Amino acid sequence: MKRLAQIPRWWALTALILLVGAYAMWIRFTGGLGAASNLHDGFPWGFWVGIDVLVGVGLAAGGFTIAATVYVLNLKKYEPVSRPSLLTAFLGYLLVSAALVVDIGRPLRLYHPLIMWNPHSVMFEVAWCVTLYTTVLALEFSPLVFEKLGWHWPLRAIRAIYLPLVIAGVLLSTLHQSSLGTLFLIVPEKLHGLWYSPVLPAFFFVSAIAAGLSMSIVESFISSRVFSRRLEHDVLLGLARATVVILGIYVTWRFADLATRGALHLAFTFSQQSVLFWAEIGFGALLPLLLMLLSGDKIRERNLFFYALLVVAGFVLNRVNVSMTGMRNIETYFPKWTEVAITLVFVTLGVVLFGLAVRQFDVFAKSEYVEPGTTTRNGWFPKGSLIAVAGFFVALVLLVRAAPSRAELEARLKPAPAQLAMHVEPLGDPNENLPQDLTIPSGGNSPGKVVFSHANHIAMQEKVSCMECHERTFGMGFAHSPRLKGEQWHRACGTCHDGKKASSSVSDETGESCSTCHQSQ
Amino acid sequence: MAFLIDLTKCIGCEACTLACKQENGLPPGATDKLSAVTWTVIERHGGVNVKRQCNHCVDPTCVSVCPVAALQKTSLEAVIYDESRCIGCRYCIMACPFSIPKYEWFSTEPRVRKCIHCFPRLERGEQPACTAACPTGAAKYGKREELIEEAKKRIAENPGRYIDHIYGLTEAGGTCALYLSAVPFAQLGFPTIRTDTTYPHLTWNVLRQLPSVVSVGGVGLAGLWWITHRRMELAEERAQQAAEKAENEKEESK
Ligand code: SF4
Ligand code: SF4
Ligand code: SF4
Repeated sequence: MKRLAQIPRWWALTALILLVGAYAMWIRFTGGLGAASNLHDGFPWGFWVGIDVLVGVGLAAGGFTIAATVYVLNLKKYEPVSRPSLLTAFLGYLLVSAALVVDIGRPLRLYHPLIMWNPHSVMFEVAWCVTLYTTVLALEFSPLVFEKLGWHWPLRAIRAIYLPLVIAGVLLSTLHQSSLGTLFLIVPEKLHGLWYSPVLPAFFFVSAIAAGLSMSIVESFISSRVFSRRLEHDVLLGLARATVVILGIYVTWRFADLATRGALHLAFTFSQQSVLFWAEIGFGALLPLLLMLLSGDKIRERNLFFYALLVVAGFVLNRVNVSMTGMRNIETYFPKWTEVAITLVFVTLGVVLFGLAVRQFDVFAKSEYVEPGTTTRNGWFPKGSLIAVAGFFVALVLLVRAAPSRAELEARLKPAPAQLAMHVEPLGDPNENLPQDLTIPSGGNSPGKVVFSHANHIAMQEKVSCMECHERTFGMGFAHSPRLKGEQWHRACGTCHDGKKASSSVSDETGESCSTCHQSQ
Repeated sequence: MAFLIDLTKCIGCEACTLACKQENGLPPGATDKLSAVTWTVIERHGGVNVKRQCNHCVDPTCVSVCPVAALQKTSLEAVIYDESRCIGCRYCIMACPFSIPKYEWFSTEPRVRKCIHCFPRLERGEQPACTAACPTGAAKYGKREELIEEAKKRIAENPGRYIDHIYGLTEAGGTCALYLSAVPFAQLGFPTIRTDTTYPHLTWNVLRQLPSVVSVGGVGLAGLWWITHRRMELAEERAQQAAEKAENEKEESK
């Protein structure tokens, strides 16, 4: 009964998110990327690339991992996980594609990489892999739909090619999970040394597998609460053990890589990035690794959920670090509400579609059915875990704010730029390159000739720029200015020396006399 | 073709900035930094004027990262942009080691904007608008090899006037904008970047493994399947045989 009462509340929240998101999308498609985000030339990739694409694709990695386990390694025990993870992957990729429509500047040209090729581009490879893999996922998922519809021959056709399909899926995923890391190989100076590494592609691949497995654990827990269906304890335990092994490899490799690159000291320098690094590795990998190791076979499902959630959080943080917080210029970027609102729409759609699919198709067909009420004793909300993870992020934000930023640390190392001009050899001094003083011969009624000094005029300007005068008043061809005569000079100089813009010497509004300029000798 | 930009000769008049705007039909103003409407700019660094524009790298990062080949290196060395191909992924903006390409963020049909070396002028056999407008010869246009020779000669003939560094000779694997300066480039806002490799190599070294990953991986996975599948078949057979045997024995013992 309690659960029923909660349903309208959730639908209201969903509707609110979709409404606000629709407004944000309207801003995006009528005002451009600049209106709907805080992205700018100094920080061209932000929240959408970091969260929607990198995290979205990574969390979908369970799809190919489990498919390989069940169909290639023939570990049939894990068959019950294969459908939920497949569904997650399929929805994940659909939503990543939707997010790309928002993120790229010309969404109607999303298909261009398929017909305009540049095989040297990582982005080109990513585009192809995402397209092909989404197709493979759709095919892998299609038996569920055919089963439901009772269509037999397409079902047989898909089953006949299922193994090649799975292998293609595994290869495509391997390629582009790692390619998302390869994307960042091209920015060795912009990405902080704690994350930039020649083996970044491998790190992306390995960490995605750990995150994908943990996602399966998290999902099982949630679906046991929401749909009264969950995975057997034995299967969960197997997933947890695999996560432990993979995380172990990952963490060891990360530190070994830091050491071989001579970047280990960066982790022990107090900075925003080192705080983020320890949050990611310490709380998002080492801690769950140890907890899972220590708790053995008797681990409670609730605890396992929490540990898996930590792994997922660490994974999210890693992608955020690589794409945003580890980047140079991060000081100049913070996502706008529209960016978050649109991302929330995709997350919400993902959850809603997952729920619909579970109701329509036999997603959890072979998994254990839990009597409603047996696990919902404490309400179906895992409050403790969520509060812990939220608290962790709040603490992280506070700590990061306290730490010195990358720009500050770099500024400390830089020599003061103040007196550069003093070091410049003669020809480097702008004044030395100025034309000589011009002597304008006295005209008919003139009390005396006028000497015009470029140096004086330049010195009086706020910013050294010849174009202040040589764009309009005196034209750009330097040659013709001195050929002006008498009254022409009065008019020309008078554009500035009008008694307002510059001190008067032509008009007598300010009472200055001709002799200010026309010095008789 | 290339630029030789002698910072000791630049008087900071900004004639190049304006000439570029005229030539490329860019709106006036906003001349303080590179932007979608300002493709070359004079940056002030404590009395030294620095002309910046696209460096037209010999092996351009932007060209290599663009998924749809909207950015291209022409035979005249100019790196040009075909706006009809661009999907707006902004990877070029992200990747350029000199942070040159800019974007029209507030447009619904945005384009990437940057110096195109006045490619239409080059094709007509003219020099770029900015070097043509430069009154002191601080920005000079010519063949890259010839300009490198000239730069070396200037350094050799004017000891004390220049530091012994031609920025762009090896930076990012070489660029078509070569800079001479009296003070170290790091103090003038020039990024200290890799000189041992061109940037496209960083990703190409990984990307070119793709065929081997696919072929080896495909065969490996199929092999794995074959082994595990065969093992299961054998196990089943053995179980069956054992069962039969047990049954036979049972019958025999009867
Ligand atoms: S400087 Fe940047 S934009 Fe210009 S060619 Fe090189 S990589 Fe491309
Ligand atoms: S923004 Fe356009 S030009 Fe730049 S890499 Fe993407 S598709 Fe190519
Ligand atoms: S070469 Fe042409 S496009 Fe490039 S900065 Fe000079 S004038 Fe502008």
